[in-house]
Amino acid sequence: MTTGDLFNPTEEHRMLRDLITEFTQQEVEPQASTHDASGTMNVELMRKVGELGLLGITIPTEAGGAGMDSVGAVIVHHELSKSDPGFCLAYLAHSMLFVNNFYHCSSEQQRARYLPRVLSGEWIAGMGMTEPGAGTDVLGMSTTAVRSGDHYVLNGTKTYITNACEGHCFLVYAKVEGRVSAFIVDRDCPGFTTSQHIEKLGMRGSTMAELIFDDCRVPVANLLGEEGQGITHMMRNLELERLTLAAMSVGIADRCVDIMIRHAQERRAFGEPLVNFGQIQRYLADGYAMTEAAKSLVYHVAHHCGPDARNRIGTDAAKLFAAPVGKTVADYAMQVMGGSGYCREYPVERLWRDAKLLEIGGGTIEAHQKNLSKDLTRSRPLA
Amino acid sequence: MKIGICAKVTADTDARLSPSADGGSFEFSGKSVVGPYDMFAVEEAVQTKEKHGGDTVVFTVGAESDVLSQLRGSVLALGVDKAVIVEDPALANADALGVARALAKAIEAEGVDLVFCGKQAIDDDNVQVPAMIAGLLGWAQVSRVTAFAVDGTSFTATRAMDGGIKQVVSGNLPVLITAERGLNTPRYAKLPAIMKAKKKPTERRDLAALGLSAEAVAPKVSTSAYGSPPERPSGKIIEGDTDTVVAELVRLLREEAKVL
Repeated sequence: MTTGDLFNPTEEHRMLRDLITEFTQQEVEPQASTHDASGTMNVELMRKVGELGLLGITIPTEAGGAGMDSVGAVIVHHELSKSDPGFCLAYLAHSMLFVNNFYHCSSEQQRARYLPRVLSGEWIAGMGMTEPGAGTDVLGMSTTAVRSGDHYVLNGTKTYITNACEGHCFLVYAKVEGRVSAFIVDRDCPGFTTSQHIEKLGMRGSTMAELIFDDCRVPVANLLGEEGQGITHMMRNLELERLTLAAMSVGIADRCVDIMIRHAQERRAFGEPLVNFGQIQRYLADGYAMTEAAKSLVYHVAHHCGPDARNRIGTDAAKLFAAPVGKTVADYAMQVMGGSGYCREYPVERLWRDAKLLEIGGGTIEAHQKNLSKDLTRSRPLA
Repeated sequence: MKIGICAKVTADTDARLSPSADGGSFEFSGKSVVGPYDMFAVEEAVQTKEKHGGDTVVFTVGAESDVLSQLRGSVLALGVDKAVIVEDPALANADALGVARALAKAIEAEGVDLVFCGKQAIDDDNVQVPAMIAGLLGWAQVSRVTAFAVDGTSFTATRAMDGGIKQVVSGNLPVLITAERGLNTPRYAKLPAIMKAKKKPTERRDLAALGLSAEAVAPKVSTSAYGSPPERPSGKIIEGDTDTVVAELVRLLREEAKVL
């Protein structure tokens, strides 16, 4: 039964939000600043998330998942990012970029081997697409896979890979005779290594490193689908990736709105609370309005996006709009808080650092503009 | 063994309670939750079922439209098997005794051996209903329990007393237990259980179905008014050099606050 509520369309969605809200307040918020400072991912917390049944949120119950839709995935990313976008990014890399993608392109044998491990969090997973020489220009990737008996031999490097430091397995794109194909690469595949942890500005509750393939031998059984089907797998999953990244920006903006509204009432200057000053009112009102607009767009698109409902235009638009909102509203919150907002004692500076990544990762702002222009003109050709 | 839980859907702990404009009722802003002490009762019921088997059923008084969703998400999704909601227009203004009569009849009808309640609700802080249910059923009651065990038809409970003293009591079922903080750590609902919670049986019963008349739950105590506490007076800022400020502060503490 639907409730007519854009954000909680069914009772299950509302219960999911209550669960994530409580879990975030009790378990996620207390560890966020510690892992931000150390630049480490909380593996134990990821396993707790696995115990709640959230690591396979979008895959069917028959396969061990929760059988929820894109709105459910958006709710989790929205709520987790109110406290710890860095940890949420690790969750996204595991549950969206690996689990969701893997499920839709794997065989029964492959599912039997990997799903129990990644759904429980026993194995941490990630996805390798970006290369040192191919980011937005993803089809220009140079990692190759050559068939050699019952193995493929992979050569190349993937970079900026979330969960690379902790990951036990990765979904990796490589070209077989020039055609993009998808493979599962286990940590112990001969010839596979990961680089040192790449230090970054924000999202420090997740790690990032290179995946290095040096004559890496991957069993033929680890090819996902058929040779040359990688583009289809990639494009389908990029939509959910963009949507959930946009939901993270909404979570950051939502939290920052809460923080600045509270601060503007508590903090006084010239004998009055800050909220009485017009310049501060602008930050509060504009920040709130743009957050609500982003939230509405992201949830609206989520209602029309799924494995059987492709929506490249919607998901590009959602992330194109929401990512700068997250960054701008975090900046507003810091401005309202003044010096305290800039200090590590409060969460705003962490959210402000985290927010920037969402204008880059999972598609740069410029990539979304390019894709949208192309798709919009294609859908409205001149007569 | 059949295990019951009494739960009240109430204002969340961070909700603001305020008297209504006419002072005849109170309102709150924010979301509804199953009371936090009731959640200890739910967890203990589920743990007891996991150890000894049996069925669990949650009882509440309220409008189904107001409480069912919270019962599903916070009680049924945690492993409780069934919900019984007592809803009747005559209960709208019931006092603690009226609510207790309705719950006691529902508990009796289900053939329950053991009931867990939170030690109190967190909105009206009445702390009356569990004791009244036990009295109406003629059962033993152990209040503010921090540890509990069943062995066959007997139980042992540890209860918190003033000054940190612990009292250990034992007896035979049936018994009504009220849960104190520390009895256990309530688990989180798992998402697959949330997705299945809607399939668990829920039954709505009115007073007639329980063999009660409207007169039987008519309030014996009526609320004349709700009022807010008086606003705290604003603080005083004492100005001047250190000697003046200290002298004035001491004078005010002695003469106005009368704490010295």
